Amino acid sequence: MKVEVDEHACQGHTLCAMVAPDLFTLRDEDGHSEANNGGEVPRGLEQAANSAISSCPERAIRMIED
Amino acid sequence: MDDVNTVTTDGAAKTEELKKCPIDFERHGPGFREGFVDQTHELHAKCPIAWTGSYEDHWVVSGMDQVFAVARRPEVTNFRDADGSVNGYKGISIPAYDYGPYDTPSFLELDPPEQTDFRKVLNPYMSPAAVARWVPIIDELVNACLDDHIESGSIDFIDDLATVVPAITTMGMLGLPLADWDVHSEAQHALMYTPPGSPDHERVMKIVMASRAALTDAVPEVRANPRPGFVDALLNATIAGRELTDQEITGTLMLLVGGGFDTTTALTGQSLLWLSQHPDERARLAEEIDTLLDPATEEFLRYFTPAVGDARTFSDNVEIDGVEFKEGERVWVSWAMANRSPDVFENPDEVDFDRTGNRHAAFGLGIHRCIGSNVARVVFKRMITAVLDRMPDFVIDPNAVVHYESVGQINGLVNLPATFTAGERRGPGLTTTIERAQKIVVDEQLADRVTARRGR
Ligand code: SF4
Repeated sequence: MKVEVDEHACQGHTLCAMVAPDLFTLRDEDGHSEANNGGEVPRGLEQAANSAISSCPERAIRMIED
Repeated sequence: MDDVNTVTTDGAAKTEELKKCPIDFERHGPGFREGFVDQTHELHAKCPIAWTGSYEDHWVVSGMDQVFAVARRPEVTNFRDADGSVNGYKGISIPAYDYGPYDTPSFLELDPPEQTDFRKVLNPYMSPAAVARWVPIIDELVNACLDDHIESGSIDFIDDLATVVPAITTMGMLGLPLADWDVHSEAQHALMYTPPGSPDHERVMKIVMASRAALTDAVPEVRANPRPGFVDALLNATIAGRELTDQEITGTLMLLVGGGFDTTTALTGQSLLWLSQHPDERARLAEEIDTLLDPATEEFLRYFTPAVGDARTFSDNVEIDGVEFKEGERVWVSWAMANRSPDVFENPDEVDFDRTGNRHAAFGLGIHRCIGSNVARVVFKRMITAVLDRMPDFVIDPNAVVHYESVGQINGLVNLPATFTAGERRGPGLTTTIERAQKIVVDEQLADRVTARRGR
C-alpha cells in the first residue's frame, strides 16, 4: 500500500500525523504534511493509513497503490 | 457599492428559484442555541443548501459535502472590499461589522496572493513545532491560575482559567507584554457575546476601541524596539511585493488577538461543562489521558465547533450540488452544522472519544483554515489535563452557567462557576508567574519563528 499527500490540498490540519504518526511528518515551518518513506506504508500500518485518509478534513491524502 | 451585489437577472423568476429552500435563520437570536440540533437535522434532511432573507439575503450551507464543495471553490471568496473601490464584497461577517476607523481588512478577508504570503510569514510562529516550545510556559500559567483558587474549592473556569491562558499566550506570541493581556480580554469576549443592536453595545464598543488603540500603538513601539513575535514579523513582511502599512499591521493584530482570545476559551468552557455532566467519561479521560486526549480534543472541536461559521461571496456564477449561485451573492458556511452531518459522522449528536475518521471542519476548510489551530489545540489540552489532574471531581451548577447571549459567531460561555475538593498550591500565583514567564519568553526568544535559529 502506498499513500500520497496532495500538497495543494493539504492545509496543515495535522490530523493525519495525529492518527498515524509513523506515516506522516509535519513540516516545522508550516505544519503541512509529508508522507514518510515516499508514501510506502509498512506492513501492519494499513489501518493507520486508512484512518489518516478518512481523518483529513481537506481529503488531501490518497491511496495510490493497493 | 450595493448595486454590484444586486441580482441583475429577472427578479421574479430568480426569487422563485432561490426560494425552493427558504429558511428563517436568526443566528444571533436567543433560539439559535436551543434550537441548534433540531434546525441542523431539518436543514440536513431538507435543505443542505438553503436561502434566507435574515439580516441580508444569503445562502446557508450546512451539509458537510456541500460545505466542503463550497469552501474550497476558487470562485468563493473571503474578500472584503473595505473602501468599495473593487467590487463591494463584504467579507466574512453577516451582518457586516461596523469597524469604524479600523476598517482595513485582515488576511482572513483577503485571498491569494496576499493570503498565501501572510501565511508564509506567520506559519513558522504557529506550526506544531513552533507551538511545542511554549508548552512549559503554558503549563506554568495554567497551574498558577489553578493555584490561585485551589485552596478555596471554587473557581470560575471562564474568568479564572479559560480566558486567561489563551490571552497571555497570544500576547507572548505577538511579542507584546504578557501583563497587558487584560487590556484586550473582556473586549474580545464582549465583542463576540453581544448581539447586534444590544443595549450593551456602547460599553462594548468603548472597551473594544481601547483594545484596538493599544494594538495601534504597538506597531510603532515594536518598530522602535524590535523584538521577536508577530508584530515584528509583520513589520518585516513582504506581502504581494510590498511592505504593509501600519494600519494593515494593526488590522492583522486585531485578527490574531480576536482569534487567539475567544475561541479556545469557548472550547475549554464547553468541554469542561460537558465533562462535569458526564462523570464516567470524565473519569475515563483522566485515566487514559495519554491515548484519549488527542481524539477527545478533536471530538470536542467537532461537537462544540467554537467558531460556528463564516460568510463568503461568490465571485462568479457557479453550479455546486445542482444549485446555481450567482456572482455577488453571499453565503454563510456553517462549520458547526457540517460537523453534525449524519452521512460523515455516525451518531453526530454524541460525543464519542472512540470516533475514527473525525474529519471535522471546526477550523474551517481550504486556504483560510484557522492559522492558530495548533496554538488552540495545545493550550486547550494543557488546560484540560491540569484540571483533570488537580480538580478531578469538579461540579458545575448548570443554573449558574451563563451562555453567550448570541452564539451566532462563537459558541461560548460568559461564566462557568465550579466547586471541587480543595487542594494544595504548588507554586506562585498568576502575577508572579507572568513576571517569570515574561523573562523566559525574552531570554529564550520563544516568540521567534521556529526556523530562525536554523536559518540564521
Ligand atoms: S490531515 Fe490533511 S490537511 Fe491536515 S496535515 Fe494531514 S494531509 Fe494536511
